[in-house]
Amino acid sequence: MPREIITIQAGQCGNSVGSEFWQQLCREHGINQDGNLEDFATEGGDRKDVFFYQSDDTRYIPRAILLDLEPRVINSIQTGAYKNIYNPENFYVHKEGTGAGNNWAAGYSMGEQVHEDVMDMIDREADGSDSLEGFMMLHSIAGGTGSGLGSFLLERLNDRFPKKLIQTYSVFPDTQNAGDVVVHPYNSLLAMRRLTQNADSVIVLDNGALSRIAADRLHVQEPSLQQTNQLVATVMSASTTTLRYPGYMHNDLVGIVASLIPTPRCHFLMTSYTPFTGSSVESAKTVRKTTVLDVMRRLLQPKNRMVSTNPNKKSCYISILNIIQGEADPTDVHKSLLRIRERNLAQFIPWGPASIQVALTRKSPYIPTSHRVSGLMLANHTGIATLFRRIVQQYDRLRKRNAFLEQYKRESPFQDGLGEFDEARAVVMECVQEYEDAENADYLTRDLPGVGGGRDNRGESVAT
Amino acid sequence: MLHLLSQLADPPLTTPLQGARPSLANRLPSYNTNISTSAQTAEPTPKRPPDRQFVVDSPAFNEAFANPGLRRLPEAEEPGSSRAEKLFSSQRKERPKEPKAMNGDTEAGASPMPKSSYVSYDSLVPAEPNLLRDLPFTLQGLSSTNFSFESDKVLKLPDTLPVPIISLLHALAEPCLLYKRLSEFVESNDGGLVGQSFRSALSIELRAYLGLVATLEGQIRRALAQLDDSQPRKGIGKAGVTLKRCVVWTREATMGLRLMSLMVEESKDKKGGQLISVIHSFSLTHGDPFVVSFAERLLSHVTRPFYDMLRLWIYDGELSDPHLEFFVLEQQERLDDSENNNGRKVAATSVWDEKYKLNAVMVPSIITDSFANKVFLIGKSLNFIRHGCHDAGWVGSYSKDASRELQYGDTATLETSIDEAYKTTMARLIHLMATKFHLFDHLKALKKYLLLGAGDFIAILMESLSTNLDRPANTQYRHTLTAQLEHAVRNSNSQYDPPDVLRRLDSRMLELSHGEIGWDVFTLEYKISPPVDVIVTPHGSKQYLKVFNFLWRVKRVEFALGSTWRRCTTGSRVVLSAVQDKVGRDWKTARCVIAEMVHFISQLQYYILFEVIEASWNELEKAMHRPESTLDDLIEAHAAYLNSITRKGLLGSSTTDFTGQLHELLKTMLAYKDAVDGLYSFSAAEFTKRQELSAKIENRTAAGRWGISEREDDGAQSTPLLKPTKSSSRTPFASSPLLSLPGGLLSSGSSEEDILGRLRDRLNSLAGDFKARVNILLGDLYHQPDADMRWLAMVMNFNDVYTPVRRRKKTTTTTTTTTTTEKARGPATVEKGRVLATAEKGREGGGGGGKEGKGKERV
Repeated sequence: MPREIITIQAGQCGNSVGSEFWQQLCREHGINQDGNLEDFATEGGDRKDVFFYQSDDTRYIPRAILLDLEPRVINSIQTGAYKNIYNPENFYVHKEGTGAGNNWAAGYSMGEQVHEDVMDMIDREADGSDSLEGFMMLHSIAGGTGSGLGSFLLERLNDRFPKKLIQTYSVFPDTQNAGDVVVHPYNSLLAMRRLTQNADSVIVLDNGALSRIAADRLHVQEPSLQQTNQLVATVMSASTTTLRYPGYMHNDLVGIVASLIPTPRCHFLMTSYTPFTGSSVESAKTVRKTTVLDVMRRLLQPKNRMVSTNPNKKSCYISILNIIQGEADPTDVHKSLLRIRERNLAQFIPWGPASIQVALTRKSPYIPTSHRVSGLMLANHTGIATLFRRIVQQYDRLRKRNAFLEQYKRESPFQDGLGEFDEARAVVMECVQEYEDAENADYLTRDLPGVGGGRDNRGESVAT
Repeated sequence: MLHLLSQLADPPLTTPLQGARPSLANRLPSYNTNISTSAQTAEPTPKRPPDRQFVVDSPAFNEAFANPGLRRLPEAEEPGSSRAEKLFSSQRKERPKEPKAMNGDTEAGASPMPKSSYVSYDSLVPAEPNLLRDLPFTLQGLSSTNFSFESDKVLKLPDTLPVPIISLLHALAEPCLLYKRLSEFVESNDGGLVGQSFRSALSIELRAYLGLVATLEGQIRRALAQLDDSQPRKGIGKAGVTLKRCVVWTREATMGLRLMSLMVEESKDKKGGQLISVIHSFSLTHGDPFVVSFAERLLSHVTRPFYDMLRLWIYDGELSDPHLEFFVLEQQERLDDSENNNGRKVAATSVWDEKYKLNAVMVPSIITDSFANKVFLIGKSLNFIRHGCHDAGWVGSYSKDASRELQYGDTATLETSIDEAYKTTMARLIHLMATKFHLFDHLKALKKYLLLGAGDFIAILMESLSTNLDRPANTQYRHTLTAQLEHAVRNSNSQYDPPDVLRRLDSRMLELSHGEIGWDVFTLEYKISPPVDVIVTPHGSKQYLKVFNFLWRVKRVEFALGSTWRRCTTGSRVVLSAVQDKVGRDWKTARCVIAEMVHFISQLQYYILFEVIEASWNELEKAMHRPESTLDDLIEAHAAYLNSITRKGLLGSSTTDFTGQLHELLKTMLAYKDAVDGLYSFSAAEFTKRQELSAKIENRTAAGRWGISEREDDGAQSTPLLKPTKSSSRTPFASSPLLSLPGGLLSSGSSEEDILGRLRDRLNSLAGDFKARVNILLGDLYHQPDADMRWLAMVMNFNDVYTPVRRRKKTTTTTTTTTTTEKARGPATVEKGRVLATAEKGREGGGGGGKEGKGKERV
């Protein structure tokens, strides 16, 4: 019972990130490009079966489903270096190959068409696992396929596997600079509704922050997509190390996210990773000193966050989990936590216990690194609401002008009108509200945003 | 009387002077009283033998020969003779009478008087030549006509002699008596090997003495042959051999004899190492070079058997010590290896810990204590290698290679060879432990399985066992447990562990006690077989089990909370969001409390696993891999490792009962989890009810009738119910909050309402309970001397949400009051989020009160 996790890669972004992720995992586990174990990969202690299964010829096959509505990225994977590791049955490219045209509604409605095939693949993978822990979806929410098809799949997974965890790695659009997709506020908002309602934990990565970090750390003006994807893959592999290298704690997905997400709606996690170096991302600046304290302090710095938020004074952490890889001495962690608390480097919620939790894990023995320890922070921070607010604002601006709505109206979800947009906006705003409530000490006694409305209604209904 | 005296068991009560006094009493009446009193006090028998005799082991004698006193030897010897001389100067004649005098007090008192007036060497009876003739025999301890040994302590002198002669004879009598006793001692054969070698050394010395006596005898014979009756005193003075001369000639020998006799005395009841120490003390601390060289000479003989034993011990690891003389003691074997299985365990530990003991008393002073300890360890290790580790081959070849003759005096070689032996044996033992018996593998396995290092294995085991263990303890069957264990091994990384390790892993149940469920009695066990159980002692295994049980409980709570979390989180996607209007607040509170518990558990686990176990493990590894570590070091390091785990792991604190507190906390959490599960089923039931309702409505509308009956007025547009999204569920269920009003409009709702009310009460009281307990625990932790424990409190209360209660005494009262108030209020106000509000009140004072007011308002 390895508590398998099935990875679903949707859309161009999801597939490119996924391909980097699998390459990273293969390197870490010593799996070569054919899926066989390298000769040197004899050191046990890792669990490959969370993410891989073994075929009859003992090759390791990723539990991955690759979906796209246009063939470009998938083709490149199928011709790439690691083409042989994937199960060829797990590729799904829409026959027409037209893509969703950066239209959420198109992606979503195409989901209806491909639904059967895709669900078959998912069912097959799910049946092939002993004790399925959950799903991991990789997608971006700005475009059409990842956003629309992803949303559709989230809803379906919800119905089909009501008891399985659904985690997503969602790449948010760059909300601070004009992106290449004009309608991204629409797409994002619509996808965000599904992320709020149908996923259990969302790891938010933001293109703006990613390219900033890539530029900053790697000294390149315009980081390539591959470089930012590598960043994401690094984060993903780091956040799954405790699953792949079992130790005392955090050996399943629940163990990780349960300590991070106290209330189901606040399940958007932000990440920081340090240090990025040449081995994980090419030509990264060497960060010379990597003590545990150093790593943990860096992780708390906003500039290392992979999300651009504008936290205000009240913003605080709901929870933090630091995954420290490498030769970390528990006593160092001990000292670092004391120091962080002394200096008050992290602000926490006032209404419940919260602290920096630390998971110490091994590091892949097959990848030589120049630094002793590296760290990933998974944090639930109320500042993420500012990102959502920004998306809603951008949406509002577009919506006010009724811009670009035609192509949405053409698709099935909007046949009955644009109510879908309003509902999505309400859901996202509730989530924002919840996060903002959580900044206050009276969070627990405050009305639920949803229920508060309900109560008001009740009052009315009683009155009438 | 003399005879009588000699028969007395222990005659040291009288000093020679006292012994002499009775005869004086005749001449000096003033002493009379003195004597009679001393005689009376000293002995119950009133008739004290008045005789000059050498009571060799009398206190005065011993004093004279006592170590520091030997310098004064002549003086000390003198008192007997010189004073006697003074006193006896006028009574030489009385001597012959003495034997008679011995016969009775009255006679003795009367008879010596007349003879004492006339003194002449010519008229000596017996004559000096006769005395001389007898002397060699006497010196050899044989009775002769004139000198007869009444016993080995008493030499009877002819009582017809004058005092000066007696005094001379006194001096001569000393070596005689000493020799007699020594030769007797040498003849005897009790005592051990060292004792025997001591005897043989003495006998060599005595032989030298006999040589002297022989020469003396030759001289005497020659002199006696030249005797001329015409000369005064028969010309004995010219012949060159007189009693006086004899005294002078035997003086040195007497010293030697005295010394030997002293040694014999000192070494009485001593054996082995002690005996060597006694003799060594002469050579070590004595200023007289004669004594020192004499002792050294003796030592080289005496230590021979000791060194033989030593050699056997440090090269073969065998103790050949039939007389218990060596400083290593073999304990009585309590259980034989082959006797029974149960005994095996004890036997292996006893080989190391119990079988041999260092007997500090027996350590001879020729070697230092640390040296002795090394020697002890070497032999013990060799013995252990041979018997415990069954590696006799190595021991054999080692002893063949390394064995060499050891003897006294060669300290440098001895030390180097011991050091060498020490290093070789220790290295071999550690090597054996590491390679042949996989000590480190076992320790790692213990950490992995009993200290939950193999998280995946534990998780699988827990998951597969959880349904089983929820049932009562007496329904647990060993075979199911074993099967699940197998399953967990197969499905986790444990499958890659060596089969030897897995073979030792076992799951079993602790002793059943009434009313327990499987969780309470389940335990994992890791079997340790000899000789590794020298390090992982049965006591250590018990400690491991204790830690395991605690960790297992914590893990179980983590598991339970995790599954509940998963249920309510995944549930919130569909089921729970649909009924949010009704139980939304309950869920919010419950989730936050669960989050609190998850936080508590994960911090507790992190602390125990990383701060305590990992840190202690690092220490252990450091200690184990130190190059010069011995098996004892390993044992010690491992014991320290376990101790620090139990102590810091909140299991062994002497001052505060953390274990109890934690168990209570864990219990509370489990109870809370159950209550939350109850809430979940309630919500799920509610959800199905609503779904059914909406399905009914849909059917009816489909059938072309009114979708709703009069009751569900507001639910008219409830078609989108099936899509339980937030916005859609809000409107259609606007009516349902009515249900939650006390005395709801629906009659069917009341019982349901009761359930919900009870659930809320339970959740609230448990949450309050939890919080109060955490506060107490934190208060206790903050006041621990151990920095790590304070750190735990700091981490648990990282953002100062809790208010740790300071004093234990106070806390119990305050918490009981808070809980009682909560309980008192609980039923009255069936409002959600109550407890946390109260708990917060403690922290925020007035603010909390305000909230409470708000809470009450809603009711």
